[in-house]
Amino acid sequence: MVRARRRTELGLLLLAALIVTGAYALASLSRAAALPGDLGWFIGVVVGLFVVGHLAIRRLASDADPLLLPLAGLLNGLGFVFIARMNADLAAAQAMWSLVGMAGFVVTLGLIRRTRSLESYRYSFAALGIGLLLLPSLPVIGREINGAQIWISVGPMSFQPAEAAKLALAAFLAGYLVDKRELLALSSRRLGPLYLPDPRHLGPLLVAWGVSLLVMVNQKDLGSSLLFFTLFVVLVWVATGRAAYLVLGGLLFGAGAFGAYHLFGHVRDRVSIWLDPWPVAKGAGYQVVEAAFAMADGGLTGTGLGLGNAGRIPARETDFIFAVVAEELGLVGATAVLLAYLLLIGCGLRIALQSDYPFEKLFATGLTTLLGFQAFVIVAGVTRVLPLTGVTLPFMSFGGSSLLANYVLIALLVRISDETAKRTTVVQEDPQRPVGVAGVGG
Amino acid sequence: MNGRISKVGVVLIVCFVALFVQLNRVQVFEAAGLNAHPENLRSIDRSYERSRGIVATADGVVLARSVDTPGSDFARRREFPEGELFSQVTGYYSFEYGADGVERAFSDELAGLTDAQRYDRFSDLFVDRDRSADITLTLRSDVQQAARTALGDRKGSVVVLDPRTGAVLALWSYPSYDPNRLSGDDIEAVRAAWDDLDADPERPMLGRAYRERYAPGSTFKVVTGAIGVESGAVTATSPVFPMVSSYTPPASRNPIGNFGGMVCGGTLVEIFTVSCNSAFAQMGTELIGPSKMVSGVGRFGFNTTVPFDLPASAISVFPVRYGAELSPGVYEDSARLAQASIGQNDVAATPLTMAVVASAIANDGAVMSPHVVERIESRDAKVLFQSVPTRWQRAVSPSTAALIRQGMESVVTQGTARALAIDGAEVGAKTGTAEVGDGEATNAWVIGYAGVPGAVPSVAFAVIVEADPGIGEQTGGRIAAPIARAVVEQALKPMQPVLGG
Repeated sequence: MVRARRRTELGLLLLAALIVTGAYALASLSRAAALPGDLGWFIGVVVGLFVVGHLAIRRLASDADPLLLPLAGLLNGLGFVFIARMNADLAAAQAMWSLVGMAGFVVTLGLIRRTRSLESYRYSFAALGIGLLLLPSLPVIGREINGAQIWISVGPMSFQPAEAAKLALAAFLAGYLVDKRELLALSSRRLGPLYLPDPRHLGPLLVAWGVSLLVMVNQKDLGSSLLFFTLFVVLVWVATGRAAYLVLGGLLFGAGAFGAYHLFGHVRDRVSIWLDPWPVAKGAGYQVVEAAFAMADGGLTGTGLGLGNAGRIPARETDFIFAVVAEELGLVGATAVLLAYLLLIGCGLRIALQSDYPFEKLFATGLTTLLGFQAFVIVAGVTRVLPLTGVTLPFMSFGGSSLLANYVLIALLVRISDETAKRTTVVQEDPQRPVGVAGVGG
Repeated sequence: MNGRISKVGVVLIVCFVALFVQLNRVQVFEAAGLNAHPENLRSIDRSYERSRGIVATADGVVLARSVDTPGSDFARRREFPEGELFSQVTGYYSFEYGADGVERAFSDELAGLTDAQRYDRFSDLFVDRDRSADITLTLRSDVQQAARTALGDRKGSVVVLDPRTGAVLALWSYPSYDPNRLSGDDIEAVRAAWDDLDADPERPMLGRAYRERYAPGSTFKVVTGAIGVESGAVTATSPVFPMVSSYTPPASRNPIGNFGGMVCGGTLVEIFTVSCNSAFAQMGTELIGPSKMVSGVGRFGFNTTVPFDLPASAISVFPVRYGAELSPGVYEDSARLAQASIGQNDVAATPLTMAVVASAIANDGAVMSPHVVERIESRDAKVLFQSVPTRWQRAVSPSTAALIRQGMESVVTQGTARALAIDGAEVGAKTGTAEVGDGEATNAWVIGYAGVPGAVPSVAFAVIVEADPGIGEQTGGRIAAPIARAVVEQALKPMQPVLGG
């Protein structure tokens, strides 16, 4: 069974490598009418990276889910192809960050052998998460880029600590909720129609929530705020099963949104652009208008890789990379990318479902929610389903912090799936219970 | 907990379905509207994205090229290094207003969009490469420059052809315009320039040399004389037209007077030399008649589209209806035919058509298709088009043409075009002074040809200087002939290729 999962994974990785290198060659053919000079190198690096990840899983997590790494590799590779097609300098950096990301993947698998060992560090993770969030507000190392103070610079390196903070906060929440979920599920206080738990148990949760939101509002990082908010609400609800938390979350979100709308000009701008970008098509609405033009230009089957007019789309390598994908690969290609994210979400939630330890369940749910909801939020912003909030498209957008954090996220899911599978094979509690999903994709 | 985890999954699936639905809206259902949206500059981008080939003169001067525009919204813009000098040939290339001239007529060739360019190789089915082609024109920069200098700031046109091939050597009219103003990458500036040029009463964008029609006046006697000889009614020696000061057409009471009231007549060469109105009016009305005149002018390019490779050239016209035949050879409107025979009334010709008339006479009666494009060559030096001299139609027989040349040469040696006598060259010409409206002002014309004696002339030309109400009467001989001389002298010199152009 172990061999079957890893064979499946290897086969899918080779398929992903084929797609990525094919796309790379195609993008170069359509722009320069020649195969890229570094195609050999490119194939070597892609296959090398995938093989390193595969061997690491073989050695360190031999029973892990076989879909996670191929999906991550596919999205990472496709994102790189689009970045390389638009900006050679950024492509070089992104290639380096892909190496760092895969190294982070291997190191995470190597360091964290038992997911539940993280549980006992929950308050350390809370401190780490909040500390990371505060870093960009510090005077010397903090940087404001494009109106959002979410960067820190150390020497030539820039980093977005929020990307790491979200993993730390997911670990904290999972650990804290496992500990307190029974208490939180009890409704000892009544507030109007709502039954609320003892404030002593709710307190730390609200503090962590409030602090992270405040910090991010202060740093004008709306996307991350929305992401954290969702993470908190989802995990508390999944842990306790109390619909009251959804209602409370909804009320708090409504109040926060109302307050932010009236307090912050940039929030008002985002909302009015979302509702109707056309009056400011040349000004503030420029981004979403150009993205809409780009996607319309792509149509059903796209302009072809490398043949679009990406130069018109602002932030095309980062927040708006999905518009470039939709332009050049069309509705067909954009849907395929959305399906890849949906498959990742499916994998993550299946891992959460299969695990028999509450911490692992919550942690896997939290990690999957982060990844899936982040992909949704930015694509929704680009396609004007929601107001635009600047977050990266996981694995595809340019950005080292995001890439590294998401590879670590995938490594954590790989670890949880491996532990679960090992337990079920060793214990064999119930021979009728479905063990693993070796058949899927194989 | 598992039930709630599944519900999280369901919610995320719903979120992604919403994205899918919205993508369908944007990319399929609303795509056409978005593509046509006025703020959408993508289709313009695409045309600017494409590199277009170079347009150059026969002697190698670059007239139009694509230049990269770093820092601009557009990848490239079209640059016209010679400015207004060639704009009526090259035209402009504007993101908002389309294109004109060669840029319009040969847009696909310049951009590499013709089927021959797109599917030249098997690999082209899959790969996009720079397939743009360069265009070499027949025009010579020195002759064009001579035309601009000679005409100066008088409104008018100069057209110079090679009668043997139909190649246009110069095509200039004043006023002209700078195509760079319409082809820049600053949208607002281009819009302002367009409005400015469009509103200009002098109509600088018109391209008068092939798009404006004027009464040809006495230059039309070349056509009438040639038709007369071709019909057999007129020879070198007969008839001898009566010596009169005016001619009154049949069924008319309005006599057509000779210039300055002069008394003239005689043989064909004699009436040519002095441009005798009475004799040519009588020839057209009584010796040729309406049907032969109408079919004859068609062979010179009137009332028909002359094949020309620049877009939207005007059709030169000659009246076709003269009413019922009252008695043999006499029509209700014979007076009109008499006036039309000397290039008045409703006869209207473009300068290009009159140059074609002169070149037909010069080239032994054969009209070669006029053209400005000599060669189209792809980036990989493959010749996509090479002009070959093509006879459009025969105007008159070689012997008729030879007799008319005698008359036109006499105009240069003894008549109104003595300013065109050039040492060592055989020059024939006919001047014209056409009345405009009721005033004193007149259009000054001269058409003709020049070349090495004994050979088919290498240059045919038409020059018109438009009537200027402030100046009054301008005769072709005094005003237009010196301009033609300067241009012809330059055109007779061998072409000097511009190195490194």
